[in-house]
Amino acid sequence: MSESELGRKWDRCLADAVVKIGTGFGLGIVFSLTFFKRRMWPLAFGSGMGLGMAYSNCQHDFQAPYLLHGKYVKEQEQ
Amino acid sequence: MVARVWSLMRFLIKGSVAGGAVYLVYDQELLGSSDKSQAALKKAGEVVPPAMYQFSQYVCQQTGLQIPQLPAPPKIHFPIRDSWNAGIITVMSALSVAPSKACEYSKEGWEYVKARTK
Repeated sequence: MSESELGRKWDRCLADAVVKIGTGFGLGIVFSLTFFKRRMWPLAFGSGMGLGMAYSNCQHDFQAPYLLHGKYVKEQEQ
Repeated sequence: MVARVWSLMRFLIKGSVAGGAVYLVYDQELLGSSDKSQAALKKAGEVVPPAMYQFSQYVCQQTGLQIPQLPAPPKIHFPIRDSWNAGIITVMSALSVAPSKACEYSKEGWEYVKARTK
């Protein structure tokens, strides 16, 4: 794996971690306010789940160096 | 009867808010693969600052307050990767020559002390 590719993987991992932890935290806030009487544990649970999912994605990304990352392109109707 | 209807309404409102949040996360694929999360973060970085600016302009128009224009943040070009790599190389090369340099300096110090005591 070249250094530039490694750098791109780290960037992707960090962006993924930020998004997933933020999403888990946000969902934790929503559920804490709506169903769980403003307790703190849904926030911790959501953030922890997001962190775990990000870690799993990063681990898969670093351990599978031969997978190509493609983009979805919509077919244009003729 | 009214209390029951009111509690049912509250539950439905809360359920719809929570369900909407979950659906939004599912629709934007925020908890999916890392490519989609990176694309979502990039899109948020492009959309949020103009939206914040427009909202602040709207608030200024409605309230008549004048928010002072902040100066642009200084652009600091500090290559962290290059300086980190250079630092690691320097530390490792210093550690590798440390024993031989210690021998050399101690020998020189001993010779100096011998010369001074003669």
